[in-house]
Amino acid sequence: MKSMDGAMRPAQMSMGKAAGRGGSLHKLAAVTQIKWLCISRNTMIMIGPLIVIGMVYACKILYGVRSEGTLVPFLTGMLLNIGISMNICAEGFIMVGTSIAEEKENHTLRALMTSSITGVQYFFGSILIPFVMLMAVNYIVLFISGISLEIVPWIPFFLVSAVASLTSCVLGMIVGICAKNQMNANLISYPFLMVFMMIPVFGNLSEGLHKISGFLFTGVMTGMTERLANGERYVMSALDMAVLFGELAVSILVFLILYKRNGYEKD
Amino acid sequence: MEQNVLLSLSHVSKRFKTELALKDINMTLRQGEILGFLGPSGAGKTTTIKIITGQLRQTSGEARLLGTDSANIDESIYENIGVVSDSSGIYKKMTVWQNLAVFARIWKVPRERVEQVLDQVGLAEHKNKPAGKLSKGQTQRLVLARAVLHKPRVLFLDEPTSGLDPTTAVAIHRMLLELKEQGMAIFLTTHNMEEATKLCDRVALLHDGEIVEFGSPQEICLKYNRNKKYHVLLAGGRELELAQNPENIVKITRWMEGDEIMRIHSCEPTLETVFLEVTGKDLNV
Ligand SMILES: Nc1ncnc2c1ncn2[C@@H]1O[C@H](COP(=O)(O)OP(=O)(O)OP(=O)(O)O)[C@@H](O)[C@H]1O
Ligand SMILES: [Mg+2]
Repeated sequence: MKSMDGAMRPAQMSMGKAAGRGGSLHKLAAVTQIKWLCISRNTMIMIGPLIVIGMVYACKILYGVRSEGTLVPFLTGMLLNIGISMNICAEGFIMVGTSIAEEKENHTLRALMTSSITGVQYFFGSILIPFVMLMAVNYIVLFISGISLEIVPWIPFFLVSAVASLTSCVLGMIVGICAKNQMNANLISYPFLMVFMMIPVFGNLSEGLHKISGFLFTGVMTGMTERLANGERYVMSALDMAVLFGELAVSILVFLILYKRNGYEKD
Repeated sequence: MEQNVLLSLSHVSKRFKTELALKDINMTLRQGEILGFLGPSGAGKTTTIKIITGQLRQTSGEARLLGTDSANIDESIYENIGVVSDSSGIYKKMTVWQNLAVFARIWKVPRERVEQVLDQVGLAEHKNKPAGKLSKGQTQRLVLARAVLHKPRVLFLDEPTSGLDPTTAVAIHRMLLELKEQGMAIFLTTHNMEEATKLCDRVALLHDGEIVEFGSPQEICLKYNRNKKYHVLLAGGRELELAQNPENIVKITRWMEGDEIMRIHSCEPTLETVFLEVTGKDLNV
């Protein structure tokens, strides 16, 4: 059978073969471009970061006026808390999850999978843009919240923010793998949202929730910003570390199990 | 095995739970050939394509595509084949151009090739339109354009013209014949017998997961041309259908000599009538 690949093939037919050789970064780039084109045209998704940023900014101004420019730490903490939880959860799950669901709905996922895109390329191509957007919004929210920037521990902030954003993206992939269409994706997202977004947000109000919040990756993130808002130093604890990386590992594991079973789409 | 065989199936069967969807399928596809898989709904056409392209696993038998057993196919095979099926979607929010451009990136296809393909399918003037705004026929042409963008060696088409107007269908037929001229092997499924007769070098008639007849459309039709018949229109408007027998031959000769025949056709079977005959659903009995 080896001869079949041989000289009989006309020269102009070798275009596809050539594409196979030069690494596969261009394929990752192509998926990323597709995701960017889809996400940037989806107003439902694009409006999210703007709402988060706008809300934090508006609150700061409104409350700032009454207290002559400086917010009480509790409010700053609350603002950051809501902004960042909303950003990481709502945006992360929904951006990644619905964009995969949209591809299933329109049968473009099958088109991609029969165009030589691998599962790994699709995975990273799908989360790259959302990840960058989540990170960007985390920083923007931090800057506009009015927190004193001298006490921000930049490396831990980056680390916590990156791991939390990544976990959120992986959860979004899980939503996407389970969802049949966009409606379905939203429905599947709700339980995740309730847990990962609402608990840290209401953690400020109830001691019990606050405790639970410490065991969630979003809670670690908001716990950190809360400290910063209070003007305290943040040092990453072993628990924070375990929660962050543990939950990332669990999400990746769940994703892999689901992926191994049916791929992105059940036939 | 012949050198230019790109695809071969031997004894391929597929069972879905209890239902046997494909039974002992054997066939080959060569370079520059169009092979038609014909059959009614549920015959197993789509299932066959899915098995060959590695989207579904056969229960038994062997399918080899471009020298690779379909069980060992990985994504790289798609750099050399193109697939159009009813589940090949387009990005509706992107423009026609972007829809092709992103796939051009995947396959490292130059920009000029995208222009060329757009011209070929007649969508050049719509290239800046959101793909979601295209009509059904235009969408189908876009999907086809994408499938041939990287000049695949084998093209799989699952009912490429179903639900299209005759003009679009003819345009697609013309394009397929051009691609074949360039050496592409095309595997298409259809339940349109006319389309198959016109396009295919060889056809397989599939019925309940079994190939009941295989060969060129002409061969198949002539094979079933057992009772030769002629359709005659005589001067004066009388129409007759005459079987070939000594008595009728004399009759026709006499009419010919008297220049009484306005029109005469041989009534050989079409793929359609053959199909009805071999599947035992002969409606003309
Ligand atoms: N995933 C599946 N699970 C169970 N049965 C299936 C599956 N896919 C196909 N079948 C069955 O296999 C048979 C062949 O289906 P297939 O889709 O190949 O038909 P087809 O020839 O493409 O028909 P059509 O012309 O309607 O597209 C059908 O009876 C169908 O119900
Ligand atoms: Mg079918």
